[in-house]
Amino acid sequence: MALFYLLFESASGFALFIVHGIDEIGQNIEAVRNSITDLNRFGKVVKLVAFHPFASALDALNQCNAVSEGIMTDELRNFLELNLKIKEGKKPKFTLGLAEPKIGSHIYEETKIPCQCNEFVLELLRGVRLHFDRFIKDLKPTDLEKAQLGLGHSYSRAKVKFNVNRVDNMVI
Amino acid sequence: MKGGSKVIVEPHRHEGVFIAKGKEDALVTRNMVPGEAVYGEKRVSVQNEDGTKIEYRVWNPFRSKLAAAILGGVDNIWIVPGARVLYLGAASGTTVSHVSDLVGPTGVVYAVEFSHRSGRDLVNMAKKRTNVIPIIEDARHPAKYRMLVGMVDVIFSDVAQPDQARILALNASYFLKNGGHFVISIKANCIDSTVPAEAVFAAEVKKLQQDQFKPSEQVTLEPFERDHACVVGGYRVPKKAKPAA
Repeated sequence: MALFYLLFESASGFALFIVHGIDEIGQNIEAVRNSITDLNRFGKVVKLVAFHPFASALDALNQCNAVSEGIMTDELRNFLELNLKIKEGKKPKFTLGLAEPKIGSHIYEETKIPCQCNEFVLELLRGVRLHFDRFIKDLKPTDLEKAQLGLGHSYSRAKVKFNVNRVDNMVI
Repeated sequence: MKGGSKVIVEPHRHEGVFIAKGKEDALVTRNMVPGEAVYGEKRVSVQNEDGTKIEYRVWNPFRSKLAAAILGGVDNIWIVPGARVLYLGAASGTTVSHVSDLVGPTGVVYAVEFSHRSGRDLVNMAKKRTNVIPIIEDARHPAKYRMLVGMVDVIFSDVAQPDQARILALNASYFLKNGGHFVISIKANCIDSTVPAEAVFAAEVKKLQQDQFKPSEQVTLEPFERDHACVVGGYRVPKKAKPAA
């Protein structure tokens, strides 16, 4: 049976999930939509495989910028190869579900992991986002918000060029 | 605010919003950062019976479409203390600062703004208010900031773009929980300036309905803004169970 994995990028780290019984649900979006709100049902279908917390705030910012641009970093590559147990020269027997096709094509080019991004995957990721703090045991709900806050500030500040005097240097 | 110590602050029908009654009435929110104004707005200090002071900030409906919608008599804004809000089109963060007051320390406001110039003021404002997460990114591409945002209860959208219904739907598909709510401000001129405003509003509401939104009410923002409407509704509203026969 083909295995189906999900990659979820959070502000505190990368998380890999495995989806069970994908054939039973079929690709019925309506059924997924109904099941994601209930953690009891959703937790039976989707299970956490591995979680890679970011080493530091700087590391998180680098990962966030790369994810935003659709680029796979070395850390993400190591995380995926370690947990998906890629064998050289063998065709992998699984699929990886992702939120965005651009990063998916980059991952496929580099590692030959078959990636998928469609409405069905996005629905599953909605469920993961909703229940994320309950999947990761050591993570309190406020921790994720703190990570988002710190990352949001550093991500945004890098985009805005600051001028202490609030005087804009006009480019003519 | 004129009236000095005679000013009385009463809770508004919407939780988290207050009315200051002095010489004139004004809409106010409880200041999360007492002693500081964000954009030069007036502040009101009220003394409690036990001597502690609470500071409120005056919310100008001419500068904020959400305040205009509240004064326009909208039934429910869904933005309540403790709520998680995704705010699209945050600009310099004037309304965002009031939303931050409204949701209080237990809530979160994800403020998305694309313009770097107003984004700078937004980031500076967010430094003082720890429940505001600034995101300088294009709201058309929620995938770019998917790492920064969690599931939210309400999306407030004030992007004034021709494709704003699509922008709202895209963000909702990523971040708005089932049964969550949206508040969208529609500026008729920004979408189509050749047809009457009412026709534009009706067309936008129809677009929203196609994207699993369920608009429940619509108010115009007269006399504060011309040809603006504010539409409120639910998202992926769960179907009511049929009563057992």
